[in-house]
Amino acid sequence: MPNKSGVLEQNAPNANFVMEGKSLYNRRAKPVDVVLKLLINGAAFLCVVVLVGILGYILVNGLGYVSWKFLSTPYSETKANLKGILPMIINTMYIVVITLLIAAPIGICSAIYLTQYAKQGRLVKAIRFTTEILSGIPSILFGLFGYTVFCILFRLQISILAGCLTMTLCILPTIVRTTEESLISVPSSYKEGAFALGAGKLRVILGIVLPCAMPGVLTAIILAMGRIVGESAALLFTSGLAYQMPKGFFQQIFSSGRTLTLHLYQTAREATTPDAMNIAFATASVLLILVFLLNRLAGALSRSLQKGTE
Amino acid sequence: MDRTMDGQEGREREKRRNAAYRWIAAGLGAVMILSFFLPYITFVFRGLTYTVSGIQLAFVKGFWVVGPQQSGLVTIPLAVRASIVLGLLCAVGGFVLILLKKPVTAGLLFLLSGISPLLVMAASGAIQTAVTSLNVSQIELQFLWPFFCTLLGGLISSVLALRTQGTERLAESVFQVFACVSIGSVILLTVYIISAGLPAILQIGLTQFLLGESWRPASDIFGILPMILSSIVGTIGAIVLGVPVGILTAVFLSETASPRLAMLVRPAVELLAGIPSVIYGFFGMLVVVPVIRNMFPEHTIGDSLLAVILILAIMILPTIVSVTETSLRAVPAAYREASLALGATQTETIFKVTLPAAKSGILAGVILGVGRAIGETMAVIMVAGNVANMPTLLGTVRLLTTGIAMEMSYASGLHREALFAIGLVLFVFIMIVNLLFNYISKKGVQIHAE
Repeated sequence: MPNKSGVLEQNAPNANFVMEGKSLYNRRAKPVDVVLKLLINGAAFLCVVVLVGILGYILVNGLGYVSWKFLSTPYSETKANLKGILPMIINTMYIVVITLLIAAPIGICSAIYLTQYAKQGRLVKAIRFTTEILSGIPSILFGLFGYTVFCILFRLQISILAGCLTMTLCILPTIVRTTEESLISVPSSYKEGAFALGAGKLRVILGIVLPCAMPGVLTAIILAMGRIVGESAALLFTSGLAYQMPKGFFQQIFSSGRTLTLHLYQTAREATTPDAMNIAFATASVLLILVFLLNRLAGALSRSLQKGTE
Repeated sequence: MDRTMDGQEGREREKRRNAAYRWIAAGLGAVMILSFFLPYITFVFRGLTYTVSGIQLAFVKGFWVVGPQQSGLVTIPLAVRASIVLGLLCAVGGFVLILLKKPVTAGLLFLLSGISPLLVMAASGAIQTAVTSLNVSQIELQFLWPFFCTLLGGLISSVLALRTQGTERLAESVFQVFACVSIGSVILLTVYIISAGLPAILQIGLTQFLLGESWRPASDIFGILPMILSSIVGTIGAIVLGVPVGILTAVFLSETASPRLAMLVRPAVELLAGIPSVIYGFFGMLVVVPVIRNMFPEHTIGDSLLAVILILAIMILPTIVSVTETSLRAVPAAYREASLALGATQTETIFKVTLPAAKSGILAGVILGVGRAIGETMAVIMVAGNVANMPTLLGTVRLLTTGIAMEMSYASGLHREALFAIGLVLFVFIMIVNLLFNYISKKGVQIHAE
C-alpha cells in the first residue's frame, strides 16, 4: 500500500516531535493511526453491512411467499395457480447427486494419489498445475465446452446429464484440494503404526488415512454441493431451461431441466408483474437458505476435523 | 496373513491365480480384436440401414448420401478412423504382450484400446452434422454389442493384467488414472475452445474481430472491441474498489480484531463467497440499478458499467480477503514483535512491516480477484444493460462473458462461431491471469521458504 505508507511518512516529523517529550504510550494517539484504525474497522463493518443488506433485502421480501405450497407445486408460465418450484428443486437435486457421484470418486482418488503415492516429479507437477487452471476457468467457458463436447459431440442434447458432466469439471478442483488438505493433516504416526503392524499400503490408506480424514472429505463434498447449487452460467447451455415435472427417473436425466438458480434468473428477467417478482424473491430466499445451511454444515465439519487432529 | 505358516503354499496359490488372470485377460484381448471385425455400428437414414464393422469403418471412405435438394459424399471423420486403428493396434499389442508376460504395458494398451470406442462415439457427431448439412433430416447411429464389448473388455482386461502385479500395484494405477483426469480435461478443454473459436476469427480476420467497434450479427459485422474494453474497465474498476476494502478487512481479521469480533466478520465473508452469483445479479438489478438511476436521472437508465463495477467489487471481496488473510498469517510473528519493540505503533507495524512482508501473497489474491471479475457472467448480465457500447461509466455495456451468454441460445452459423471466438478471447485472458497467478504464488512460496 504505497499511498498509505506515503501518508505515514508525511507525518514523520510530527512523530519525532511527539517522541521528544512524552512517553511511548502517548504516541499511540496519533491522528493518522486513528484514521487508519477507523478505516480498518470500517472495511470490516462494510463487509458485514453488505452481507446483511443483501440477505435482509431478499429474505424480507421473499420469505413471506415461501410456503409448503410454493415448494410442492409444479411450475407453469401460463397457469396462474401453478407457480411452485418443485421441478426446479428436483432438477437441482438430480444435478447435485449425479455430479457428486461422478466427481467425488475422481476427486478423492486424485487426492489420495497426490498425497500418498506420488513422488515429486513431472506428473505431479502437471496434475497440480492443471487442477489450478481448472479452478481458475470461469463457468461460462465450462458451459461453452460442455455444450460443444457433451451436448453436441456426445449427442446428449441439452440435458441434465450434460449439465452434470460439465459441473464435474467445475467442482473437481474444490474436491481435490480440500480432500488433499485433510489427508495431509492425518498424523503420520497413525500410518507408521499401521505399517509397523504389517498392513499393506492400500490397507493403510483405506483403513486408517481415509477414515481419519472423513470430516475433511465430507467438507469437500459439502463445499462442492454449495458450488453446484449456486452455479448458473455453466448450466445455462448444458442443462437448459425446461421446467416440466420429471416423467421417469432415467428419462429426466436425458431431458433438459432448469435448476433453482436458472429459475431465479429467468423469472427475474421476465418479470413484469409484482406477482412474478414475488416468485423470484421467494426462489432467491430458498436458494439463500440452502446455501447458508450448506455453509454452516461445512464450517461445523471442518471445525470437528481440527479438533480431531489436535 | 498366514504367509509365515505356509508361505510355500501361498506363493503357489498366488502364482496359479496370476496365471489364471493372465489367461482371462488374454482371452478378453482376443475377443476385443475379434470385435473389431464384427458389426459395430448401424446407420439408419431415409429408411435404409447400413451396418458396418469396425474395420470397415476404418477403411471405407464414406457414404454417398442422396438428399432432397443436394447429395454428396459424407466422409467418415479422420478421428473415427484413427481411433479405430489405434484401438485395434492397442488390442493386438496388449494381447501379444500379455502372452510375453509384460502385464503392465499390456494393461495400459488394453485400457487405451477400451477408450477407443468412446473416441469413436465422440467423433461420430461430425457424421451427424455432415449429413444434416446435406438436408437429410436425421441420421440415426446405433452402436451394437461389439462396441460395448471392446469398451468393457478393455477395462476388465487392463485391470486383470495389472492385478497380476499384486493389489498394491493395481490400486496405485487406479488412483493414478483418476488423478490424470484433470490433466485430460484441461487438454480437452483447451483443444475444444481453440478449435471452436479459431474458424470464426480466421474468417472474420483477427484485427477486424478484436479491433472492430460494432457488433451487428444481422449484417455479419463482428467486432468485439467494446466488449473487451468493457470487460477490462469493469475489472479494473472492481479491483480499485474491492481491493482496498478487502485488504483492510483481512488486516482487521488477522491483526486488529478481538477474537469475538473476528468470529462475527469471518463467517460473514465466507457467506459472501457462498452466495450464488445470480443472487448478486438479482440484488443489483433491484437495488443498485434503481439507486444509480435515481442519482443521475438524466444520464442513465441505471443498467450501467458503474453497476457492473459495484457488483463485481462485492463479489471479489471474499477472494481478496481470504488470500490476503492467509498471507498475513504466514508473516512470522518475529517481524511484528521486532517492529513493536522498536517503538512502532500497531498501525505502523501493520502498514510498514506486515503488509509489505505479505505483498506477494496479496498480489496473488488481487490476480485471483481479476480472474473472478473477468469471468463473472450471471451477476453482470442482470445489471449491465447488454448493449455493445464503448464503455462509459453510466452507459450500458456488454462484457465478453455476457456477450456469449446473451446470444448463445438463438445464434447459428457464423454468428454462433463468433460467440465461440469470444470464448476463445476470454480463455486467452483467463490463461494469462492464471499463469501470472501461478508465477507469483510460487515466488511467494520461495520467499517464505528462505
